[in-house]
Amino acid sequence: MTDRTMSKFQVRLRGTVLAIGALVFLFPFYYMVIGSLQTEPDPTVAGAFPNPGNLTGENYVAINERINLFQGLVNSGIFTGGVLIGTMVFGLLVGYALAQLQWRGRGATFALALLVQVVPFQLLIIPLYVLIARDYGLSDNYLGMILPFFINSAAVIIFRQYFLQLPKELFEAARIDGAGELALLWRIALPLVRPAIITVVLLTFIGPWNEFLWPFLITKDAALQPLAVSLANYISNVAASAANPFGATLAGAVVLAGPVVLLFIFFQRYFISNDIGSGVKG
Amino acid sequence: MTAIATPPGTPGSPAPETGGKRSRRDSRGAPGGTNRRGRPLGRNPIGLLFSAPYLVFVGLIFAYPLGYSVWISFHDFFFTAPGAEVDRPFVGLDNFATALGDSAVRQSFVNVGVFLIINVPLTVVLSMVLATALNKVVRFRTFLRVSFYLPYVAASVAIVAVWIFLFNGSGLVNQVLGPLAPDPSWLISSVWAMPTIALFVTWKGLGFYILLYLAALQAVPKELYESASTDGAGAIRTFFSVTVPGVRPATVLVLLLATVTGANLFTEPYLLTGGGGPNGASASPVLIMYQKGLQQGQPDVAAAIGVILVVLVLIIAYLQNRFAGERD
Amino acid sequence: MSTAVFAVGILALSACSGGGGGGDSADGRGDITIWYSNNESEVAWGKQMVEAWNADNPDEQISGQEIPAGTSSEEVIGAAITAGNAPCLIYNTAPAAVGQFEKQGGLVDLSSMDDGADYIEERSGDLAEQYQNTEGAYFQMPWKSNPVVIFYNKDMFTAAGLDAENPALSTYDDFLATSRTLVESGVAPNAILPAPTSEFFQTQFDFYPLYAAATGGTQIVEDGEATFADEAGYEVAEFWATMYEEGLSGREQAQGDAFADEDAAMAIVGPWAVSVYDSVNWGSVPVPTSEGISAEETWTFSDAKNVGLYSACDNQATAWDVLKFSTSEEQDGQLVELTGQMPLRENLQETYADYFEANPAYTAFGDQASRTVEVPPGPNTVQMLQAFRDAWSESVIFGEGDVRESLDAVATEVTEIAQQP
Repeated sequence: MTDRTMSKFQVRLRGTVLAIGALVFLFPFYYMVIGSLQTEPDPTVAGAFPNPGNLTGENYVAINERINLFQGLVNSGIFTGGVLIGTMVFGLLVGYALAQLQWRGRGATFALALLVQVVPFQLLIIPLYVLIARDYGLSDNYLGMILPFFINSAAVIIFRQYFLQLPKELFEAARIDGAGELALLWRIALPLVRPAIITVVLLTFIGPWNEFLWPFLITKDAALQPLAVSLANYISNVAASAANPFGATLAGAVVLAGPVVLLFIFFQRYFISNDIGSGVKG
Repeated sequence: MTAIATPPGTPGSPAPETGGKRSRRDSRGAPGGTNRRGRPLGRNPIGLLFSAPYLVFVGLIFAYPLGYSVWISFHDFFFTAPGAEVDRPFVGLDNFATALGDSAVRQSFVNVGVFLIINVPLTVVLSMVLATALNKVVRFRTFLRVSFYLPYVAASVAIVAVWIFLFNGSGLVNQVLGPLAPDPSWLISSVWAMPTIALFVTWKGLGFYILLYLAALQAVPKELYESASTDGAGAIRTFFSVTVPGVRPATVLVLLLATVTGANLFTEPYLLTGGGGPNGASASPVLIMYQKGLQQGQPDVAAAIGVILVVLVLIIAYLQNRFAGERD
Repeated sequence: MSTAVFAVGILALSACSGGGGGGDSADGRGDITIWYSNNESEVAWGKQMVEAWNADNPDEQISGQEIPAGTSSEEVIGAAITAGNAPCLIYNTAPAAVGQFEKQGGLVDLSSMDDGADYIEERSGDLAEQYQNTEGAYFQMPWKSNPVVIFYNKDMFTAAGLDAENPALSTYDDFLATSRTLVESGVAPNAILPAPTSEFFQTQFDFYPLYAAATGGTQIVEDGEATFADEAGYEVAEFWATMYEEGLSGREQAQGDAFADEDAAMAIVGPWAVSVYDSVNWGSVPVPTSEGISAEETWTFSDAKNVGLYSACDNQATAWDVLKFSTSEEQDGQLVELTGQMPLRENLQETYADYFEANPAYTAFGDQASRTVEVPPGPNTVQMLQAFRDAWSESVIFGEGDVRESLDAVATEVTEIAQQP
């Protein structure tokens, strides 16, 4: 419908720009998959195309022999799931409170969320490790793994921003009707920020899924380690001694990225609304 | 154009100036000064209840390490095993002086400045334009969206390998560029190393920011587009007069997140340029902090670098919010 | 923001909580945990060692876990020391980090064991001395070395018209001439490709082996003074600067292993790499010197990994027994057999004559292992190596500024660092 404002030429231009953009974004991944299937690395232009003589599944077999992929996947799932639950429940509540409610300490809480976001993790890592391993006694434990990531502060900031965009009048009216804040949040606010939720889910998911150093520090028991830990280990140490180190590294990369991409493709249609402008109606 | 820029507010439509809304509301709440005194926790004390889990979480997880790090930055300190008796005298600003007296540290701050100057504007512009284009696309929308999100989803450890393969001296990029390829090549050129990293980080994070903008675009009321169309505005004019102001809250957010994430740059120089090479041209403050704190046993100097960085970022974030943010 | 700063202030007050712990665990016996490196061959060695011990000691069981072999292992150990949950023994303790761990109170002084110093010196002989701290105490058990040598690709040498059996690589001039031939003939894009990156430990694989050879085993810091700003140091630096300047060594990091991928005709590395090079028809020679001294006189860098006994260990008596068991003649034999790395043990070749007879390629490493030099001891080793590396990167690898002046300047800096407490 908004296409009415665009000429044929502009529509075509937009299509071209998007297609080129998609190509730029997809190509390294295509290259990653091709590279992971090569017997010998081939940096020439011809190497970007599959060559039947240079294809092998050997790089994947090598990973599978070294790493318990299934156990890693389960551990990653528990780690990521815990963080997702924490952030989606508690992060959402704070985001809403920061945007739509007037209470003492609101400014300070927002400043705190910002501060947490600004402080580099490398500054905190040893004290944090000491705290969780020694004071809370949570090493070699899923809880210890999840705890530092439990409520993602970036998610809080994003929730706040999207709740801020919602018209206050909506809530005022409902409050006059006597609705409780939880009901307001659940029935009015939440449906209106649906697009923001996918953003937060994605953001929250990515962090723990790809996190390497923390889960590694906190768990020495291989049976508890998430996929990212075993694969990053594999990539940085074991791959170099594989027959095709480059292919082995890329195969590790594909295995790590694969589940997320599949999950994302599967779930994205539930989140992205198809009807433009359906987000907010007065 | 002006007619479009200040559209007649349809009831309940979220005007871009959320801040304006809020201040109006605040002024409405202000007469309740007595009211406020009657409710020491504010008009909606339940907000505190909603935030309690988060506050407890921050208190338990971040407060101690952060406070400890700040304390470390003012003392002669190194980490010790429990029970080891060590004298840790207060040294005032010595660690800060040591940090700032180190040319590598100063260079790293300049480097990350260069990074931010490239990365942040590029991120804002590209993600806004691409999101606007994606928002209107009907065919291939899933395919297109997935392709733009992919780099964001994949772990840095994983994609860095591909980038090195693409951008090294004999890599595909240089093979395609032929004689135009820079010498020394991208990642080992003191001129190109940081821009290449900035480009990589932009590419990697763009999907997420596109997502932020897409979510914001859903909240721009389509009445605004319709009235722009009635006024005969073209696509480009509509973009600048409706879309850009309409997504300003998201822009503030993107600016903030891109700046904060960029300032904490670590993984990419660590992996892409082998620890900040060539010759320190791509070292970031966090990388130096990591070298000093975790490798060289100087957590005191590292903490000082961290504190300087945090303060600088907070100042930048404040300025951004002041000038681009929710206007009053 | 002011509120946030306030919050930080409050919390800083509660930040000084030290930890209790300690207690007398020196005589403790019972189960212990050990960590070993996560590369395949060392895991195999670690597992068989644990199994062998556990079979004979039902009341003192070992449980073994893997830690990363790369740079991150030092972070992991450092964090574990601070939290007081380090394992009893770590079979992957880098000598460069030992001084720091000792300063942190994380390591047990092995000389304090009744037979500590005797056992170490009996096993390792004269080489043991380099692993003492400045007061002469052993906070690490010298375990295994990977004496750094030059590997070369015989097929590439033949293809370039060079003598593959007696390659001319002993002097700097020969090495340069051979390198030029290799690159000019187009058999390999690089003659040799040491990692040109800025990690502190890379110095151990370009400057240090050649400097050790040139000086007959001088450490880069001795008695708190940097030694390397001398004629030998200048020559080594100028040699490498020429390699980079003429494009015989690339300034760009290789993906994977340059030698195994035939990206370079030579490699400067220890025998651990042999298993990676099984696709290459390789030979090995000692690192070059300016005059070209004989192999029997050539020193090199050790690239050693040692064993630390950590103070968090409750059963230190058991740990010490395990340490001795795992460095016994039998277990050292297993180590050579399974990993191809050289135990830091005297008379290697006589002790494991059968092995070296069956694997003649390793004989040179076994001999070289008796002439290795280590990084300087003390808590600031990594800092010194990083300072050196930064200067090296600038003047030698990227050719900015005068090599000699740059070495002089960094020598002053390293001496200052060395004299810090």
